[in-house]
Amino acid sequence: MVFLPDEARSLPPPPIANRISAWLGFCGWFAALLDNGFNQRPVLRAGVHRQILFTTVGWFVGYYLAKRTEYMYAKVDRELLEYVRQHPEDFRGAEKRRIGEVFEEFHPVR
Amino acid sequence: MAAALRAEKAWRLAATTPALAFTRSAFVARKRNYDQPNWPGVVLAFGTSAALWAYLFKQHNDDVMEYERRKREKHHKCTDCS
Repeated sequence: MVFLPDEARSLPPPPIANRISAWLGFCGWFAALLDNGFNQRPVLRAGVHRQILFTTVGWFVGYYLAKRTEYMYAKVDRELLEYVRQHPEDFRGAEKRRIGEVFEEFHPVR
Repeated sequence: MAAALRAEKAWRLAATTPALAFTRSAFVARKRNYDQPNWPGVVLAFGTSAALWAYLFKQHNDDVMEYERRKREKHHKCTDCS
């Protein structure tokens, strides 16, 4: 199983600032804060080099995960649209009906 | 009751000697010394972070170039040099 097949490069790449990277970067930063907490160091002020490293690793992994996520969704969309294209009889849109056909015949009571 | 107390005292005496030379245990904890920064660790952490960011930006630019290239080629192929 390839992580990113070659055809994934035909998709527009996600921006460096993307949701998955941001979340995993935050998770990395929080892991550094937890490490500070468990080792009885000041939580925010200690080990800034560690906080930066963990955040960076999270952001980095998030970028590649974002690329794979985009590829998986694009693949499913392609297969879905191809199926719709090959079976038009199952996907006929509702025909437009005139308003006169929708309502019952009108008998005024005067 | 007295036997349990004696057993507890014996156990406590046996447990307070972590510095025996002929026994090695994985469960000895030392207090870390935070007076000096861990300079090798700091340099490695910052260096690795910088390298990862540089690689990420390079990878992103390569991805953008490759995507643009494939888009141009597909357009070229489909429209047949019109």
